[in-house]
Amino acid sequence: MLSDKTIEEVEALKRRYPDPRGAILPSLYIAQREFGWLSPEAFEAVSIVLGVPKAHLRGVASFYAMYRHKPVGRHLIQLCTNVSCMIFGAEDLVSLLKNRYGAEVGGTSPDGRFSLVIMECIGACEAAPAMLVNEDFHNNLTENNITEILEKYK
Amino acid sequence: MITITINNKEIRLERPVTVLEAAKANGIKIPHFCHHGILEQWGGCRMCLVEVEKMPRLQTACTLFVTDGMVVMTESETISNARRSVLEFILINHPLDCPVCDKAGECKLQDYVMQYGPTAGRFKEPKIRHPEGLNDPLIVRNQERCIMCTRCVRMCSGIQGASAIAVTNRGNHSSMEPFSGERFDCEYCGNCLTVCPVGAIMSRLHRYSYRSWQVTDEIQTVCPFCGVGCTMIAQVRDNALMRVVPKLGLGSNKGLLCNRGRFGYEYVGSGERLKNPLIKKNGKLQPASWEEALDTVASRLKDIKNSSGGNAIAGIAGARCTNEDNYAFQKLIRGLGSNNIDSIARMGFAGGQRIFEGMLGPGVTSTPLSGIADSDAVLVVGGDPSEVNPVLGVHIRMAFKKGAKVITIGHAPGLGRHRTAGLLPHPQADGVVMGGLISAILKDKKSLPGGNRPLEEKITVMHLPSADDAAAACKLSAEDIGRLAKQLAGASSVSIVVGREAGGNKDTAMLVSVLSYILNARIYLMSERPNEQGLVDMGCLPDMLPGGRPLAEEGLRKKCGASWGIDIPADEGLTLMEMIQAASSGGIKAMYVMGENPAFNLPDTKNTEEALRRLDFLVVQDIFMTETARMADVVLPALSWIEKDGTYTNAERKIQRLKKAISITGMEDWKIVAEVGKRIGLKMPYGKAADIMKEIARVSPLHAGLTYADIEGGDNLWPYKGEPHKNWFSFPELSADAFTSPAEEGLCLMLEKPLFHSGTLSRKSPALNSISPEAVLRLSPATASGLNLKDGDFAKVSTEKGSLSLKVKIDRGIDGPAAFVSNNFEGRGLFSLTGYRLDPVTKSPLTEGRQISIEKE
Ligand code: SF4
Ligand code: SF4
Ligand code: SF4
Ligand code: FES
Ligand code: FES
Repeated sequence: MLSDKTIEEVEALKRRYPDPRGAILPSLYIAQREFGWLSPEAFEAVSIVLGVPKAHLRGVASFYAMYRHKPVGRHLIQLCTNVSCMIFGAEDLVSLLKNRYGAEVGGTSPDGRFSLVIMECIGACEAAPAMLVNEDFHNNLTENNITEILEKYK
Repeated sequence: MITITINNKEIRLERPVTVLEAAKANGIKIPHFCHHGILEQWGGCRMCLVEVEKMPRLQTACTLFVTDGMVVMTESETISNARRSVLEFILINHPLDCPVCDKAGECKLQDYVMQYGPTAGRFKEPKIRHPEGLNDPLIVRNQERCIMCTRCVRMCSGIQGASAIAVTNRGNHSSMEPFSGERFDCEYCGNCLTVCPVGAIMSRLHRYSYRSWQVTDEIQTVCPFCGVGCTMIAQVRDNALMRVVPKLGLGSNKGLLCNRGRFGYEYVGSGERLKNPLIKKNGKLQPASWEEALDTVASRLKDIKNSSGGNAIAGIAGARCTNEDNYAFQKLIRGLGSNNIDSIARMGFAGGQRIFEGMLGPGVTSTPLSGIADSDAVLVVGGDPSEVNPVLGVHIRMAFKKGAKVITIGHAPGLGRHRTAGLLPHPQADGVVMGGLISAILKDKKSLPGGNRPLEEKITVMHLPSADDAAAACKLSAEDIGRLAKQLAGASSVSIVVGREAGGNKDTAMLVSVLSYILNARIYLMSERPNEQGLVDMGCLPDMLPGGRPLAEEGLRKKCGASWGIDIPADEGLTLMEMIQAASSGGIKAMYVMGENPAFNLPDTKNTEEALRRLDFLVVQDIFMTETARMADVVLPALSWIEKDGTYTNAERKIQRLKKAISITGMEDWKIVAEVGKRIGLKMPYGKAADIMKEIARVSPLHAGLTYADIEGGDNLWPYKGEPHKNWFSFPELSADAFTSPAEEGLCLMLEKPLFHSGTLSRKSPALNSISPEAVLRLSPATASGLNLKDGDFAKVSTEKGSLSLKVKIDRGIDGPAAFVSNNFEGRGLFSLTGYRLDPVTKSPLTEGRQISIEKE
């Protein structure tokens, strides 16, 4: 179940739209924050507050790539491997993440610390390669500084 | 008047419709996938493209409205090319596995590809694979075949109102999925199956055993499960029922069915069907010949009549039996010199109807179902229509979606997402709430409508509770009650939907009548069994003869008796529960039960069973070995609904034909009854069901002159071609405590009316059992956590009458301190836990002893 505070937040969003369906996307983000991913319970909880059927919520959520549809590790790495980042060595970073932490693309490291998702251009081509860790942005990555950065995420 | 031209043919139209509809009405077929007559338009599949003069591109005929002077071509080279491209796109990922697809032969994709091509694909890329979804017990989902027309989704959310499925993912990875991605866990109405144009979602019941071209016969009949009386088509091959399907536009259900109707039919072929007559010898039921069984029944009944008088004999008629069966049955019981004849309709249907008719006039409940969806306010009291009469429930949901105010009094979780307000008084305090609404409405209206003098006199002397009292009873404010009253009073077309619980309680039924009167509202009486109305109209009542003629009127009684060649006794017989009581005290010595299971379906199971055990002679006529049949001295195997001809009268009082489609085992109920009748010297010269209808048409003034041809021709609405009876009813008095709300009693035991079951028959249906296999104790999340119970725990539920161990199911649809148990599964029925008291007027058993204790096991 959602915490009272979160329910309040979703209720407030709901009030902003004439049709509660307008509040689906932000409400799902809030639930994702609380549950870690869009679990069946997360959909159920949002469905109860918004009064929108859960099958519909799931349909909407599955359209978008940026919701988490599987449980993720404590930290979510979203690494770009599109053209600019690839030219500047993003693929090596992918190997590094796999070798050092055991985080496969689309998977989670065995210790549950990192999940890795590959992105298609996050708009940081001028300082490629780039990644998001949770909601933090990091660019100009190298094999050296990426491990340093990731040390901050336990 | 709009004039358009389609394919050089001039067409005149009264009102603007879409090009597709205009074409269809004029016999011009335009291919289409996503369009469906009962669904909202979507315009997504592009199959219906047509050329319209002066319009630059091809247009979708399903969304384009006609305008005067429009010139349309539905076939041309350009159009064919466009359609072929649409099909080619669909076929990129379609597996083309028609040889193993149950839909082959009635698949739109197959048909259109045959017509327009393409004959070969140009795509080299591998097809997207979707493993077939076999994780649901009833519905197979094959998303490789899905063409993304969204018909199923629009059906489920737009019509059924369940919103259980949605399109998930994106682009060519899209698929239609239920919430879990696997099991549907929905209402299982199967209405999505009806509209799927391809083989992407199909019934598991006939998987790999159905081929459309092997259907040898399609027989239009009526559903055997509830009083909505949905029209359905039985598809038959070699004396086997392949499946039942609805048909768009046919019947009051207009092409919809519910879960029971669509998936429940397999019971007819159950290996547990009774095949031979059985006679109890040395305390055990043993197979016997029909001759011996019928002789035994006749001679034992005659003996008991001679030794103890006709009054020692009682009959319980069958709500799953036809009008013809029930007419013959009451004639037999009366021929034995007894008016002790009643049925399960006593549980609320018959009593409620009598009060409504008495207060408002004959035929008040003969209201067409379609009226609900056109209402702008619907009040529901005494039951959950979405569970009891599901297709009726769908009509209420449709009304809500069109903007109607829907107010429920009492538990109605099926309308949880489709109501304006849900009032939840104590189960015995409906009266206060309705009284409060009435007084608030009257305050608003300032005067009574005038017209029904006796009723208005009654209303003026009612000590109606204030809106405050009503509000307090359901934990609302007086303003809320005032607001709801205004909504009802302000609506121009109101429907009141009444359940068994409300019908059986004379106070509630009287207040419903008053509400209906002051609001000028239609009344819909929910009917749990397929032919409850027929039981009433055929005279299976202790005080009424066929056609609703009171026994008390000597002239009528004599006339009826003369036509049967008997003297009908003048004294009213016993009602259902009174018969049970009399059996227990020894007053009733013999009982004949046709198509009913009193040992399970009547309250206070233990005492009922004991009473039946005390009988000298019990005959049970049924299709399964029920709890009651096990106690019988003679058991007579009857036919299931699909094996017989006859008629049912539904909750709208519409008489509908049942038609024999197959024959498996057993004998028609009416024929068994007639055989017994002949043996006691009654005139029952029936060769076929139609012969009985002829007699009914002679004897019952309500059905005067009615024939099967009339019924099939649509001349089947009350009062048919006959005369309803008038002026026989005197208004009862409201009870002194009609407007009191009992003090809170803590957790209250309530009867769950399961959507997936209906008792004796549905238990033998593998499909229904697969989605609802066992009795459960339903609790709200709050109640469960208060008792420290989780989903799947076992709990012991105890009342004064006994206790049951049940699996806990947490149900978010439940509000308040209520615990729900169904009366469906053998040995696990709610009625073994509750007692009853008889309503003084309707003689319906009203549930008593709802206080329970629940312990974790
Ligand atoms: S069976 Fe009925 S409730 Fe279930 S998904 Fe289909 S339409 Fe919806
Ligand atoms: S499952 Fe059938 S009805 Fe539903 S979208 Fe696919 S093809 Fe259309
Ligand atoms: S609503 Fe009643 S009559 Fe219609 S399909 Fe369901 S059970 Fe049968
Ligand atoms: S390609 Fe990586 S940020 Fe644009
Ligand atoms: S039928 Fe017209 S677009 Fe689908």
